[in-house]
Amino acid sequence: MSNSSLGAAAVALGVAASITGLVVVAMSLTNRRGNWKREIQWLVGAMAFAAVAAVVVMERALITRDFTVAYVAENGSSTTPALFNFATLWAALEGSILLWTMILTGFVVAVVVKFRDQHDDPMVGWALFTLFVVTTFFFMLMMGPANPFGTFDPSPGFDGPGPNPLLQNHVLMAFHPPVLYLGYVGFTVPFAFAISALITGRVGEGWLVATRRWTVMAWGFLTLGIVLGAWWSYETLGWGGYWAWDPVENASFLPWLTGTAFIHSVMVQERRGMLRVWNLSLVVATFSLTILGTFITRSGILNSVHAFVESGIGPWILTFFGLIVVVSLGLIAWRGDQLRSPGRIDSPVSREGAFLANNVLFAAFAFVVLLGTIFPLFVEAVDGRTISVGNPYFDRMTMPIGFSLLFLMAVAPVLPWRKASPGVMSQRLIGPAWFAAAVVVFSVLVGARGWAPLLAFGLGGFAAGASARQLILATRRQGWRGLVGRTNGGMIVHIGVILIAVAFAASNAYVRQDEFNLVPGQTATMSGHELTYEGSTVIEYSNRTERVARIRIDGGQVYEPAVATYPFAGQSINIPSVRSTAVDDIALSVLSFPEGDDDAVLLRSTIQPLIVWLWIGGIVIAIGTAMAVTPGTRRRPTEPVSAPLETLA
Amino acid sequence: MLRLRSSSRSDARLWSWIGAAVIGVSALLYGSLASGEPRTNAERAHSLANQFACPVCDGQSVAQSDVSVARIIRREIRTWVDEGRTTDYIRSQLVADFGEDIDYTPSASGITSLVWILPVVAGAGAVTGLFFVFRRWKLEADLEPTEEDVALVESARADRS
Amino acid sequence: MTAPTDASAPRARIAIWIVLPLAVTMVLFLVLLATREPSSHRVTQSRLIGGIGPSIVGETIDGGTFDLDGERGRWVVVNFFSTTCVPCIVEHPELVKFQNAHSEAGDATVVSIAFDDSAEHVREFFQEYGGGWPVLAEGTGTFAVSYGVAQVPESYLIAPSGLVVDKLFGGIVQDDLESRITALQEAAANRSDSDTDSETEGS
Repeated sequence: MSNSSLGAAAVALGVAASITGLVVVAMSLTNRRGNWKREIQWLVGAMAFAAVAAVVVMERALITRDFTVAYVAENGSSTTPALFNFATLWAALEGSILLWTMILTGFVVAVVVKFRDQHDDPMVGWALFTLFVVTTFFFMLMMGPANPFGTFDPSPGFDGPGPNPLLQNHVLMAFHPPVLYLGYVGFTVPFAFAISALITGRVGEGWLVATRRWTVMAWGFLTLGIVLGAWWSYETLGWGGYWAWDPVENASFLPWLTGTAFIHSVMVQERRGMLRVWNLSLVVATFSLTILGTFITRSGILNSVHAFVESGIGPWILTFFGLIVVVSLGLIAWRGDQLRSPGRIDSPVSREGAFLANNVLFAAFAFVVLLGTIFPLFVEAVDGRTISVGNPYFDRMTMPIGFSLLFLMAVAPVLPWRKASPGVMSQRLIGPAWFAAAVVVFSVLVGARGWAPLLAFGLGGFAAGASARQLILATRRQGWRGLVGRTNGGMIVHIGVILIAVAFAASNAYVRQDEFNLVPGQTATMSGHELTYEGSTVIEYSNRTERVARIRIDGGQVYEPAVATYPFAGQSINIPSVRSTAVDDIALSVLSFPEGDDDAVLLRSTIQPLIVWLWIGGIVIAIGTAMAVTPGTRRRPTEPVSAPLETLA
Repeated sequence: MLRLRSSSRSDARLWSWIGAAVIGVSALLYGSLASGEPRTNAERAHSLANQFACPVCDGQSVAQSDVSVARIIRREIRTWVDEGRTTDYIRSQLVADFGEDIDYTPSASGITSLVWILPVVAGAGAVTGLFFVFRRWKLEADLEPTEEDVALVESARADRS
Repeated sequence: MTAPTDASAPRARIAIWIVLPLAVTMVLFLVLLATREPSSHRVTQSRLIGGIGPSIVGETIDGGTFDLDGERGRWVVVNFFSTTCVPCIVEHPELVKFQNAHSEAGDATVVSIAFDDSAEHVREFFQEYGGGWPVLAEGTGTFAVSYGVAQVPESYLIAPSGLVVDKLFGGIVQDDLESRITALQEAAANRSDSDTDSETEGS
């Protein structure tokens, strides 16, 4: 049996299992007599099997270069190296939907396993129902507009073009998309439970407690995925940048912003029972924004270097997005007034007040990013003009929000719940304040100038001091256990975020870029670094030809930026080379090679400080997230206070 | 004795705060006002190139892209910078030559000004809303007037009459 | 855990008043997204059309000088090209045909302007593919920017009056170019017939 028909059969099985699952769950919810636990488990198993089988078949087709599968003919090639050939699964639209679906079914399996003893609970039932709706949608996509198993009739000796050259020159390509998808897809689970809470009316803290770890894990993967994407851009695109406020980057950042708001405001609800509607709305918004993100990435309505090839999938995703929004808004309108809790925040200067401020800031941040991203479409629709909104807008609008968030990161962790007294605050913050002053003085001494980066460093120091203080106190009290648990893990995450914020501010403020024409033996000087061009060599690979320039930096090691030509795709790409140290990075890329060996090469060099701390920050966040989902030894979490609405009213 | 010590401790902390603030703020002011190395033409050209969209690229700026037109515009910006042209001149030239969508900074007039105004309006609205919510909570919290409140109201009434 | 009953009456209205404007915004948002064309379908018109073409003055690859203003009185095809661009190589014979057809009458000419290319490559290119019209290769970035050229090949048709009358994306075909010129000449003739007062500038 051919790979195409095997794959199509797997997709068909997936569709059948999801729809049957949908019906069975609906029956068990409306008719309580039967116990459908077994059947549901079987159906979820069949669905996951179908998705895994489809991925295995696709990988088999890719590895055996089976060009009768259209996807392989369009994106595969006999010359692609093994790792990137494997990663071709997510190098184009149809395969990426396949990967998405497989991860999604994995999460559904995890939900069924985790809640195996609560199958009779309508809360779990409705969550499963929602999950089945989502899986049905994605399997249906693969039946119709994003069919990965379309057939192709290759002529003898046919070879495919291989994936886009930019997607096969860095090992991060193998990790960035799957990690990002783990984050995107992971938010489906809290979304399903939020919808379930709205439907069942069990709007207390039960659904939050049930999905707390899932949310934090999804958030961690999303963060790591975004950082890996930035790293990939930096290492492969050759312009010395890592974040460009590109529509697709923004599309991944939007759910991150609302998700981050949620994992903070959730604590207010757990502790004080407030902000219930707001929290439900944030979860719904986060999930909707992941779907909106896939629409932006896959419909081609906005220009982006990361977008997939334009396809007919757009209207389908948009319809699904509309469905999610309509159902969620309808449910909130229906339940919203009953959900509202009678509590209130006693003082704005308290932990819950700080969380509220945090949420206002994150919401404003998300609003600015969303507005800037879609604004050109709006102007075009209203006025017919084409305009662009780019980094000057985003930098200017998000900078004050970023500063405010850094300040809150310093103050909020030391604020007590309910109400703070000036004495306590003064005592807790004096250490971080001195640390902040020291950071500013140090920055000025090493030559940093300009109010914006210095303010960012100072606030970063303030926030880092406060986080470190919490961790030191916790480890003093509990030993190594002072590093695990949500609060302590959260402080580690904060330190990672601060590292990224400081590195972002520094690299943006002090970036130096210049272009040099160098003949062999010639040296250029830039920001105190010497770049010597020592000649070039040509290296032939199975799928490409690379011309490599040898650049010696500061008389030390030689770095080798190159231009790779992929004959089949008829495309040349830059392969930059980066010298990283803890202090600064030198990114080299060759803009053009001369004909003769002795002629001048056009070299672009970008020098930025503290770049490496962006990636270290990402790793610290990942570690902190892992610590945060590890149960700590602090007091047992309060029992779920979820109660049916009848008792509330 | 105990009282004295605690007050001297809080005095010390106050001085400590003042010290940290003075040192931090003066370093910040010095770093903001002292002129660092002057911006070279290369730096200015690079920062400008980042503010314009490459006309044929997918979401990359002139500074980022390696296609021909981006290189040509980069060189042209550099020429203008070397000639000592102002940012406004360079902006209007590029917009005239390549169209409005080359400019990454939406203009602050006409319909595009909404992109600048809306976030500010929304932010102000959120802060005002929260202010009223907190005030209502506060009012709900203190429904019973204290004796001081009563006295204050009485004296105010006495003043008016 | 019990909500105050007196509060439930005014509360009942709040959610709907928050959700309703949100729902309206979301519907508008969906309509906006659903009605947008993919970005690759958008084409912008050149703002040069109808105006005097920005000046092009410079040294040609064979040592002469070229000045666009000096070409008034005949049609000029300003052709931006690069030696590495495949459509440019494809369109080149068409330009040669066009030039040959008009060289005797002298009523039209081509001028080629290298786009991000070296003079050496351009010289080799013309040796290989022919074409005896002015070619500018050094310092041409300014011209490309002033014409707003984003991607080669791109050509501008300049009327004898010096006005830019057409912009041609992608490769040129001689027949198409001729018919455009004929159509423009006829349109100009018609205009001058119907409006005899106006000075018949150009053809």
